[in-house]
Amino acid sequence: MKIKRFLERKTAYLFILPALILIILFSIWPIVASLRYAFFDLQLNDQARSDLYTEASYNLRLHNETIDYIRYYLNIDESVVQTDEAHQAIAELRQQVDAFDEYVETNVVQGLEPVVSIDQEKETEITRHKNEIIAGLESFYTLEDEFYSPEDMMAVVGEFNTSLIQSNYMGLENFERVMTDHRVRSTLTFTLIFTFVSVFFELILGLALALIMNKAMAGRGLIRTVSLIPWAIPTSVAAMMWSYLYDGSSGIVANLFANIGIVEQSTDLLLQSSKALLAIIIADVWKTTPYMALLLLAGLQTIPNSLYESSSLEGANRWHQFRYITLPLLKTSIFVALLFRTLDAFRVFDLIYVLTGGGPGGTTESISIYAYKVMFAQTRFGYGAAIVLIMALAVGLITWLYVKSLNVKLIED
Amino acid sequence: MRKSKAEKYLLAAIFLYLFIIIFPFIWVFLTSLKPESEIWGRRALRVFSDNMSFQHYQTLFRGNVLNALKNSLIISTITTVYVTIVASLAGYAIARLEFIGKKLMLLIILGTSMFPQMIVIGPIYRTFVRLGWTNSYFITLPYSMIALPISIFILVNHFSKIPKEMEESAVMDGASQFLTFYKIILPLALPGIFTAAIMTFIGVWNEFLLSLTLNTNAAYHTAPVAISFLRGQFEIFWGQVTAATVIVTIPTLLIVLLFQKQIISGITSGAVKE
Repeated sequence: MKIKRFLERKTAYLFILPALILIILFSIWPIVASLRYAFFDLQLNDQARSDLYTEASYNLRLHNETIDYIRYYLNIDESVVQTDEAHQAIAELRQQVDAFDEYVETNVVQGLEPVVSIDQEKETEITRHKNEIIAGLESFYTLEDEFYSPEDMMAVVGEFNTSLIQSNYMGLENFERVMTDHRVRSTLTFTLIFTFVSVFFELILGLALALIMNKAMAGRGLIRTVSLIPWAIPTSVAAMMWSYLYDGSSGIVANLFANIGIVEQSTDLLLQSSKALLAIIIADVWKTTPYMALLLLAGLQTIPNSLYESSSLEGANRWHQFRYITLPLLKTSIFVALLFRTLDAFRVFDLIYVLTGGGPGGTTESISIYAYKVMFAQTRFGYGAAIVLIMALAVGLITWLYVKSLNVKLIED
Repeated sequence: MRKSKAEKYLLAAIFLYLFIIIFPFIWVFLTSLKPESEIWGRRALRVFSDNMSFQHYQTLFRGNVLNALKNSLIISTITTVYVTIVASLAGYAIARLEFIGKKLMLLIILGTSMFPQMIVIGPIYRTFVRLGWTNSYFITLPYSMIALPISIFILVNHFSKIPKEMEESAVMDGASQFLTFYKIILPLALPGIFTAAIMTFIGVWNEFLLSLTLNTNAAYHTAPVAISFLRGQFEIFWGQVTAATVIVTIPTLLIVLLFQKQIISGITSGAVKE
């Protein structure tokens, strides 16, 4: 028996393994990595910040190249300059360069590594040396004399600054910035309003629809098929469709809204922030209410008919039946549907990205859109990660609130 | 037989609902047949044009949309095949086998499906850039993150419905665990596996964010991304946009019509747990 259980366990792990590997590689590892990014000033378009550097490092290959070039230019200058003063300055500069090179050779070099990490003390020492050389050269070129090419020399010396890669570890600074970033606050507020209003209407309309579908005998198949279509099409396609319907001059919905007075002019619909919010919510409600209705319908169908029959024998009216039979028994379904939809709506991206792009003037930017822009338009992945983590925190909070307030278990034992 | 007042309202509500859902599609389809000149200006709101034609579709087929559909088909198919296999194994183990850490596994799956996708995109993007995997079909790998949790949930649900006696008698006869799974369980679970596959396919077909960020080259755009690029900086050719919308909607429409039973079961078994 023991052997059998052992074997069963072994096969179980074998069966689980591929899924586990995929989840670790593409969910858990990226989440942990994002968490790490948030502590760094990670910017992909800036070479000195394009990776995570917990401590400063020094590029020895670039350093050696720079030293060689400086010596080469100094040699040329020596044959060009006329005054004694200049010759003396060159000798001094050579000493400084030699001293720097020697310091790096003895203290910084580790084997054949092209880039080595350095501690605080070495960083200060390197900075002192390079600043000395840069200052020396600057005063050298102010002398009254002929020189080979001051511009080239100064460009070469500038490479010392590139060689020294400072740590881009920032501690909690990204999070502090998120807290005071007014765009985080405005996008978060927008997202919460959008989520709350959309999900509210989806629940009310979805519940009504589910009750109708549950009653309707004829045409039930047709209603179901039709309901599936908005859910099944890509969100970006739905958004494109609605952006046509909302178009200021050709859009039939925009013109309809102008006629019944929701907007003054049909072109206002996507150009005024409150109207644009309305437009986004309508598109979202259109796309997801049928899905909500199908979820709730499935819950309705698990309620035995006998309950309604016996209660109507006892004289309960429709409202009482709904209030005391349907709603309590539908609680779990409503919870699941609400949770799914709230989390979905909270991370809304495709719909807004295609419909308004966050406009007008960033007033319909959801937090996802902002995080996307920070990461992929400004390439600030560290700061973007901090924003996303705030989002994840909000998601956790929403889930916790739902679980607490509706008192439902997520996973049954 | 006269219908009661309530029944009439019910019928009216159903018709209104069906109309609201279907109207955008019909309107978009009608627009796609109009010449561009009639989409703008005074005649824009007329239902039919006198010069209906398929010219926008012809223009579109010379553009990127067909290629994007091909990409979507390839990417969705690859993902569906491997995710369904992986999810079947995992779903069976969770539903039927005893092992330590089962609850933890379920929690991890549930948790990762709730996290906003935006959180994984940064690290995945950087890794893809380093490996040179951007603008390729390697995008199918991170798609597992979207599709696996739902698939596993659907399959756990289906596997636990299969009567236990079936496999017990097979094990009695001396069949190995894997043989039992392959010969007895798999055939019985086929409807569930099919449901999981359909849900994965739709999910991947519709995905936008990963596709937008990882495959930026138009040659590797998927259909949802390609359609969002039809929107130019300053002007939009609604004729082409509406035609593209129609073309991209057709595959989804076919899937819905053919497999609606599986889809309904997929939607509800992912959500409603008995």
